[in-house]
Amino acid sequence: MKDTSSTRMLLTGNHAVAWGARLSRPNFMACYPITPQTPILEKLMDFQMKGELDAEILTPESEHSAMAACVSASMAGVRVFTATSCQGLLLMHEKLHYAAGLRAPIVMFNVNRTVAAPWGFWPDQTDSVSQRDTGWIQLYSESGQESLDTVIQAFKIAERVSTPVLISHDAFYISHALEPVEVPAQATVDQYLPPYEPELFLDTERGESVGNVVSPEMFCQHRKDMGQAMQLAIAATQESDAEWERLVGRGYGVIETYRCDDAELVIVTMGSMCGTVRHAVDEMRASGRPVGLLKVRLFRPLPSAALRDALAGVPDVLVLDRNFSPGTGGVLHQELKSTLFGMPEAPRVHGYLAGVGGVNMSPGKIEELADRVCQAEPSIQSVWAG
Amino acid sequence: MRGDSIDCFVVLLTRFVTGTMLEIIIQGRGGQGAQTAGNLLAKSFFKEGKQVQSFASYGGARRGTPVTSMIRVDDKPVRLRCEIERADAILCFDQSLLEAGLLQRATRDTLIMVNAAGSPEEPSSLGGYRVFHIDAFSISRQYELGRIVNSVLLGAFCCLLGEPAVDVMSATIFESAPVKPDENVAACRAGFELAARQFARSESTREAGVK
Repeated sequence: MKDTSSTRMLLTGNHAVAWGARLSRPNFMACYPITPQTPILEKLMDFQMKGELDAEILTPESEHSAMAACVSASMAGVRVFTATSCQGLLLMHEKLHYAAGLRAPIVMFNVNRTVAAPWGFWPDQTDSVSQRDTGWIQLYSESGQESLDTVIQAFKIAERVSTPVLISHDAFYISHALEPVEVPAQATVDQYLPPYEPELFLDTERGESVGNVVSPEMFCQHRKDMGQAMQLAIAATQESDAEWERLVGRGYGVIETYRCDDAELVIVTMGSMCGTVRHAVDEMRASGRPVGLLKVRLFRPLPSAALRDALAGVPDVLVLDRNFSPGTGGVLHQELKSTLFGMPEAPRVHGYLAGVGGVNMSPGKIEELADRVCQAEPSIQSVWAG
Repeated sequence: MRGDSIDCFVVLLTRFVTGTMLEIIIQGRGGQGAQTAGNLLAKSFFKEGKQVQSFASYGGARRGTPVTSMIRVDDKPVRLRCEIERADAILCFDQSLLEAGLLQRATRDTLIMVNAAGSPEEPSSLGGYRVFHIDAFSISRQYELGRIVNSVLLGAFCCLLGEPAVDVMSATIFESAPVKPDENVAACRAGFELAARQFARSESTREAGVK
């Protein structure tokens, strides 16, 4: 169904994120500005100054301190949002593990940007995919609209499984692109997302603490619990998305298959490139080539069962990685090979490093790659697309 | 005035018929307002109910270095997340930027409009491309806008594109101008008139050539 109470606005992807955060009614936010994330922080401060956002906003001296403050606030039992990008996310790395270990349901937005050195401002997902082992749920967005919707959904997911959520969208193509966005009414979001009222939280009146010294067995049990929460996060994401779709008519799934019926080649990617691939798929279908897109929206936990199901019977898969792990290649390529392991008649998986460092990927280039892989044996290593 | 220009440009007429996406590049130098111009154009198309996407090179851009703003306009949501490789229209803020790299993104059918002081009365055919020269500085000085030329250029560009309507463009400029909103609107309309005159002259020359 269509949400008739929403307002259509012309927003940049980053301002769409700020709207998503505002509508989720966070109580606390600690944030450090960094290109290309800064417009998110600016817009939220603007909302706060106008009295449209009732949240305490702290701007500490670094991203490490920002995340430390977010973890502490979350432990005190309030809803917490923050945003960052590339170097900032990496500076938080130690605290990312800490937040996940303390089961703090923080929602953080990251704008994917090239990691220094050398210096750049371009879209590249190495910053966030390299945080895959920190215990954060990770979602990737394809548009400003999806970013807004995902921020709201993320609080529901995070608070349900007591695990922090990191959402990413690409610099430039989404963060700074102005496009029409449906902004839902506050009442719609309030109906979807009730106030955060955790059972457990720190309270000076009670004198409890968290994160104390534990034995190896207790530590191991704690990690098993985190793993279990991650597995529950797949269903939590699916259900939160479905519920949102029932309210506003927009849903995204944990993965999405686009024109994959009878496809002989399925292109798998994450983030903004999905949009360009959709276009390329339509062009190829129009010229009689049976090609489809599989968009990975939920990257952590990786929805293995859904991926195996979607790719069963597909002869060839082309993974496009806008990230680079030196010594391995593309991270999604590596993940997909591992998730399809042992599958009878598994697809041949071709991995390409496409758009690394923000290199432009046009539909034409994607079509060329699609033609190339259909005639080639896959290699274990990812191949540079250009 | 919209009626006069709507059936003017062959490519854009084709677009109206086929309903395909319109892709526009605005090329300027950091500080000239190319990015602002791109966003104002996108806002105007948005007001007309179109789907738009507008983005510009950023971050590394400094005052004086080339800045590219790209705008896509369509009836359907825009899905592409890549650079524009073939532009239907190019608006160039500075003649020195109209070089091979930019023209690579043009075809013979691309509408090219360039800001050029003391511009010729008629469009030139630069290496086979039909280029409209608009002397935006003379108009912006007339309205005491100094070197800020984007209102003039946007007015002229609307005229040659045939859309968005100059009234919608003027309203967008009025709402967005940080200072001198009335002067900016007047400059936009003067740019529109200048382009309309230049277009009419070029058409009559072309017709004379055909006869």
